[in-house]
Amino acid sequence: MGISQQRIALVDCNNFYASCERLFRPDLNNKPVIVLSNNDGCVVARSAEVKALGVKMAVPVHQIMPLVKQHNITLFSSNYTLYADLSSRVMSVLKDYAPQQEIYSIDEAFLDLTGACDKDPIAYGQQIKTAVVKQVGIPVCVGMAPTKTLAKLANYAAKRWHKTGGVVDLSCPVKRKKLMQQVPVKEVWGIGSRTSKKLNDLGVGSIWDLACLNESILNAQFSVVVARTVMELNGTPCLPLEYKAPDKQQIVCSRSFKKRLVTFDELMTALTQYASRAMEKLRKQNSVTELISISIRTGLFNPNEKQYQRSMSLSLSHPTQDTQRVIKTAKSLLKQIFKKGYDYQHAGVTLGQIRPANESVQTDLFSLQIHNTDTLKSEASKRTLMESVDKINQRFPKSIAFSTASLKQEWHYESRHLSPRYTTYWGDLKRVKCV
Amino acid sequence: MYTHQTPFLKKPPLLYRPQIAASSITAPLFNCRVSAGFPSPADDYIEQALDLNQLLIQKPAATFFVRAEGDSMIGAGIHSNDILVVDRSIEAVPNKVVICALNGELTVKRLVSKQGQLVLMAENPLYPDIPLHDDIDMTIWGVVTNVIHAL
Repeated sequence: MGISQQRIALVDCNNFYASCERLFRPDLNNKPVIVLSNNDGCVVARSAEVKALGVKMAVPVHQIMPLVKQHNITLFSSNYTLYADLSSRVMSVLKDYAPQQEIYSIDEAFLDLTGACDKDPIAYGQQIKTAVVKQVGIPVCVGMAPTKTLAKLANYAAKRWHKTGGVVDLSCPVKRKKLMQQVPVKEVWGIGSRTSKKLNDLGVGSIWDLACLNESILNAQFSVVVARTVMELNGTPCLPLEYKAPDKQQIVCSRSFKKRLVTFDELMTALTQYASRAMEKLRKQNSVTELISISIRTGLFNPNEKQYQRSMSLSLSHPTQDTQRVIKTAKSLLKQIFKKGYDYQHAGVTLGQIRPANESVQTDLFSLQIHNTDTLKSEASKRTLMESVDKINQRFPKSIAFSTASLKQEWHYESRHLSPRYTTYWGDLKRVKCV
Repeated sequence: MYTHQTPFLKKPPLLYRPQIAASSITAPLFNCRVSAGFPSPADDYIEQALDLNQLLIQKPAATFFVRAEGDSMIGAGIHSNDILVVDRSIEAVPNKVVICALNGELTVKRLVSKQGQLVLMAENPLYPDIPLHDDIDMTIWGVVTNVIHAL
């Protein structure tokens, strides 16, 4: 097996959302901080102090309210405007250290450091770490290794063991083996909980066990993804860096409501809003969609509530970028799955079968005639209309909205703990004391 | 002119023709109007318009705007409600005006060295110096590079 000379770094921000909130609130340094999901429902980020208290990810906040009070934990609603701005700053600083970069998520990036720091990779990693925290104020850890999967593992080690100083390099196979023997297989990047259970049943406990797994068992019982992961764990790169983020194959917009929704019109108003938002994202990446799905459900955590949950999809005859058409489709779907007598708590719109707008393929042979004349023309004029709407909404946020029913939107999700948009809105600038 | 025409290569029926997607064309934008007479002698000297960002911001990723509150830095030209341009990438060395996290609050001071002792100094005699002893909870947040003051 060829051991490559490649060196990939994974730079991952520590407790990113919580760190963003702290940047403008130094009074919260070393104090417990929790960031909540969109509707203030669940925990989506925890500072180290909160992790130490045993609070898990995705826990509904009402379950931990006693703990919040007892330890004086500061709660924040998700401020994605702030997180997105700080994320782009982090990525921009990382560019100074590696020309090739794959932005993997809002708070992680792979860097290609091949040949950049062969003499002293740890020192280079420390330099990256110091630069990001100094310039942007967000602490990060750096993991380096010959493959992406091993770089992820190196980062895991850097985060977990403080004596590493937040930087780990796994180019040495001996060091790699030692680490892999200590870490359970469920921590490997790309191995889900079901696969790791299956592996456990086969006696594969540590990552090292997986790396040594018999090839015939591997090929007979596991997918190509697992086989690739094993190659990567053994130092053979199988996953190249993706420099340009691939366009989304699916766009989901879903939310929970502050109060339960009961009527068809109420749900339809919510779906209209989510469809508008999802279509905005679709047009931003210049794609078209062909598969519209909606979902609705009642509350999950209250055993006294009647439960109901449905979703439904419809394939369109030809791809579209038109919000109105998607809303119409959503309405016809809702008519089929809506049932009276339930208290709905959550709804969502999903756009599927997404592809670039300029390669729209014909999907319905028999509608081609219409395609070439009326439909195509109206699609084009709709596209212009949608473009104008997007442009206006960019300049004056939320000034144009689609509507199906005129309702007061008092059901709208809550963000009671939202921090200011410190970096993107003049009115929200942080006030500093001259005292 | 074709001498013979294969019957199969006639115009294909509409049904099978690939759909032609709209394409975009980029064209260079010229700075000058085309004139029928003499060209403008200034054409070769056209430069970009002045950009305040370029003047005030060296490192965009590390630059933040904050708003001043209070009169302790009046001597440095910082008035209450002014917008400060803060660059976190610059080293906080003596004589720089800095934003520091002082007892959990972002505060503006001038960092100075007095007889070998680092001191946070106000630019207003009404406010006392704060010598930086080990027991003071202080971290540098950034260095102020410019003040935006509305008249």
